[in-house]
Amino acid sequence: MTAIQVLIREIKNLKPIPAVVHPLLAAVENPKSSMEDIAGIIQYDPAITASVIRTTNSAFFGLKQPAESIKDAANLLGTDQIVEMVLLKSSAKALSGSQKGYDLHAGAMWKYAVSSAVIAKQIATQLAIPHRSTIFTAALLKDIGKTVLDKFVQDAFGKIQSLVAEQNVSFMEAEKKVIGVDHTELGGMIAKMWKFSPRMVKIIRNHHLSDDSMIQDKDTAVVYLADCICMMMGMGVGADGLAYRFHEYAMEELGMEADDISRTIAEFAYKMQEVEALLQVV
Amino acid sequence: MKHIVGVADMKTSNLAGDSIVTYSLGSCIGLAIYDPIARAGGILHYMLPDSSIDKEKARAKPYMFADTGIPRLFKESYSLGAKKNRIKVFVAGGAEILDQQGFFNIGKRNYMALKKMLFRNNVLIEKQVVGGNVNRTVRLEIATGHIYIKTSGSREARIL
Repeated sequence: MTAIQVLIREIKNLKPIPAVVHPLLAAVENPKSSMEDIAGIIQYDPAITASVIRTTNSAFFGLKQPAESIKDAANLLGTDQIVEMVLLKSSAKALSGSQKGYDLHAGAMWKYAVSSAVIAKQIATQLAIPHRSTIFTAALLKDIGKTVLDKFVQDAFGKIQSLVAEQNVSFMEAEKKVIGVDHTELGGMIAKMWKFSPRMVKIIRNHHLSDDSMIQDKDTAVVYLADCICMMMGMGVGADGLAYRFHEYAMEELGMEADDISRTIAEFAYKMQEVEALLQVV
Repeated sequence: MKHIVGVADMKTSNLAGDSIVTYSLGSCIGLAIYDPIARAGGILHYMLPDSSIDKEKARAKPYMFADTGIPRLFKESYSLGAKKNRIKVFVAGGAEILDQQGFFNIGKRNYMALKKMLFRNNVLIEKQVVGGNVNRTVRLEIATGHIYIKTSGSREARIL
C-alpha cells in the first residue's frame, strides 16, 4: 500500500464533523435567514444545544438570568456568538490532540485554530468581506490535514527538515516531495469527505496560496493572511516553523499594508486573554 | 519558581530559585537581560517594533512594543539591583516567513528596533539567536544567568 492509499484510509476513519454545521453555515450566509431559523437548526442537535446553553450560562458570560433555550442564548449574547460557539464545539474534538510530528503539544493546534478563525473574522469584518462564517470555519479547520499527516511527518522528519534547511523549499513543498501529499491537499480531501461546500474545500485546499491564481480569491487571501499573522505571533508554530511562503501580492489584493498587519496583530493581542478564557469554557 | 512570560509580557526576578521562560517567539523578540553580580534580570516578549501605530494599546499593553517595552525591562531590573554597565543582553526570535521582505518583515523590524535602541544607549548584545524560519523558546535561570534555547523540533540547549 502506498503512503497516499494509507492516508486515504486514515481520513475515512476520521469521526465526521457534526451534521448541524452544514445547514447552519448555509443559513448564516443567507441574508434572508432570521434568528429563529438559525436557532431552529441548532436545536436539531440536542447534544450541541445542551452544550451551548451550558456555556452561555457559565460564569464567563456573567448573565443575570439563565438562558433556557438557544433562542434565549442568541437574544442574550447575539446570534453571531452562538453560531461561533456551535462551530467551535463541532471542531474541538478533531483539533485538540497533540501532533508529535509537527512538535505541537495537546491544545497548541486548537489554540492556533481558534486564533486563526478569530483573526480571519476580524480582517473580513474590517474589509467588509461577506461570508464571514465560512471564512471563520475555514480558518478554524484549515490545518485538519496536519492531524492525519502527522505520523508521516514524524517518520520522515529528517528528510523533510533537511530539504527545508538546504534547498529553500517550504515545509509544505517538502511534505509533498517526501510523503507524496501535503497537508493542504489532505485538508481539502477531508473537507470534501465531510461534505463542506466547494467554497470551503477551495479555501482549505489553498490556504497557503500555493496556486497563484487563488490570490485573487479574497476569502482565501483572508484565511492565508490570518495564518501568516499566527505564524508571526508564534501561534501553532511547531517543527514546521515559519517555513511557508509569504505572498506580498495577497496583501496588495486585500489592500493591506504592513502597518495594517501590525494593527491587526495589536488588536488580536489586546483581546487574546478573552479568546483564551473562551477556550476554557467551550 | 518558574515564571512564564506570555506574549506582550515581561517578568523580572532576583530570587535564586527562579527561572523565567517565554514560549514560541515566532517573529516576536525574546529579550533576556541579566546582571551576574546582582544576580537579577528578566525577559521581555514583545511583538511589534513601534508603538506609534496604536498609542492607546501601547498605554494598556506597553510590553507589546519594542519602544515601550525595552526601557521598562531595564528599569525594572535596575530596581532589583542590576547595573547598566554589568548587564548582559541576550536576544532570540525575530524569525520570518519565507520570502517575507522589506516592511512586511516584522521579525527583522523587531530586531532592528532593538539594535537601534541598544546602540543609542551604548549597550552591547552578548549573544543572539535571531532570524531564520524557526520558532524558539527562551529560558533564563536567575541563580546562574544561564540561557537555554529550544527550537521547535529539537531539544533544549544551553547557549550562554
